[in-house]
Amino acid sequence: MALSASVRRLGVGMLSCSRELPCAWRALHTSAVCAKNRAARVRVAKGDKPVSYEEAHAPHHIAHRKGWLSLHTGNLDGEDHAAERTLEDVFLRKFMLGTFPGCLADQIVLKRRANQVDICAVVLRQLPAHKFYFLVGYSETLLSHFYKCPVRLHLQTVPSKVVYKYI
Amino acid sequence: MALRAACAAVCRRWRQELGNLSVNGSKSSTAQTGGLLLTSVRWAPLSRLHIDVPKDLTKPTITTSDEPDTLYKRLSILVKAHDKAVLDSYEYFAVLAAKELGISINVHEPPRKIERFTLLKSVHIFKKHRVQYEMRTLYRCFELKHLTGCTANVYLEYIQRNLPEGVAMEVTKTQIQQLPEHIKKPMWEALTEEKEESKS
Repeated sequence: MALSASVRRLGVGMLSCSRELPCAWRALHTSAVCAKNRAARVRVAKGDKPVSYEEAHAPHHIAHRKGWLSLHTGNLDGEDHAAERTLEDVFLRKFMLGTFPGCLADQIVLKRRANQVDICAVVLRQLPAHKFYFLVGYSETLLSHFYKCPVRLHLQTVPSKVVYKYI
Repeated sequence: MALRAACAAVCRRWRQELGNLSVNGSKSSTAQTGGLLLTSVRWAPLSRLHIDVPKDLTKPTITTSDEPDTLYKRLSILVKAHDKAVLDSYEYFAVLAAKELGISINVHEPPRKIERFTLLKSVHIFKKHRVQYEMRTLYRCFELKHLTGCTANVYLEYIQRNLPEGVAMEVTKTQIQQLPEHIKKPMWEALTEEKEESKS
């Protein structure tokens, strides 16, 4: 962030003097780092960190010990619109994280069948039931209007986060 | 609109259930709970309430027409997925449905396709350390023989409504048609006839 800010200032300085002397303006493009050897893995601690089944397994266990969190046909051979589905997934996960603050026990499962979207979530009993019902109705209506397709929410309540092992 | 109808339906159900409670004579339980009468009623979660749009009873569901039905020599359904277990279960379902309708069905498994790509593991340098990703597509092919158009439509609609999430389907239909009139006789016969007529 500091690096990009300093680069911007340099660029502005260059522009102001470029009125007298024409010169090229160069900038540096920075993006977030994607460390592929650390993706979707919970680092091993002293043995006191509770971890769910989903978190305990690394991404190379998908289709062997794990299932998929997002089910759609975009990534199949000869099918398209994978990028749009991924973008929708990211938005839906952020939305659910914000709408149910501190209530989600595990990652959300997104299922797409024909044109409808099913959001399946495991929820902790943090809020009273009538608040849950309101949030479910609110998110279903809002997302259906936003994506112009039926969006359904399926919740399952759980007393506490289901622990698979302690890392 | 739909939500309002859903709420109305839910209200009707609550009133019915409350009515049932009073009929059963659970006055003692209501007296104890007092204002918490509603806790004894079973909650129907709103999200699972899907209003069944009442079908028009005036329109008949079975239609008859004088046109001959289209005939299909072969219906080839190719199903693609990432998960073999899902495909196995869907195959069992499709074969069962076909047997119920009396359609002859053959199932075979075309070989899977794996799309692999290799990327650098690190953002900067470390060319020797790479990471590989792959996307596997598994196939299953159902071949149905000798169907009528109506049977094919019914079967396909049933199969497609119950397609699992993350599964794609491609349907290829081979239709049998009557030979058109202008092809039935070879052209050179008509030409020789014309020549004879012109000569005479």
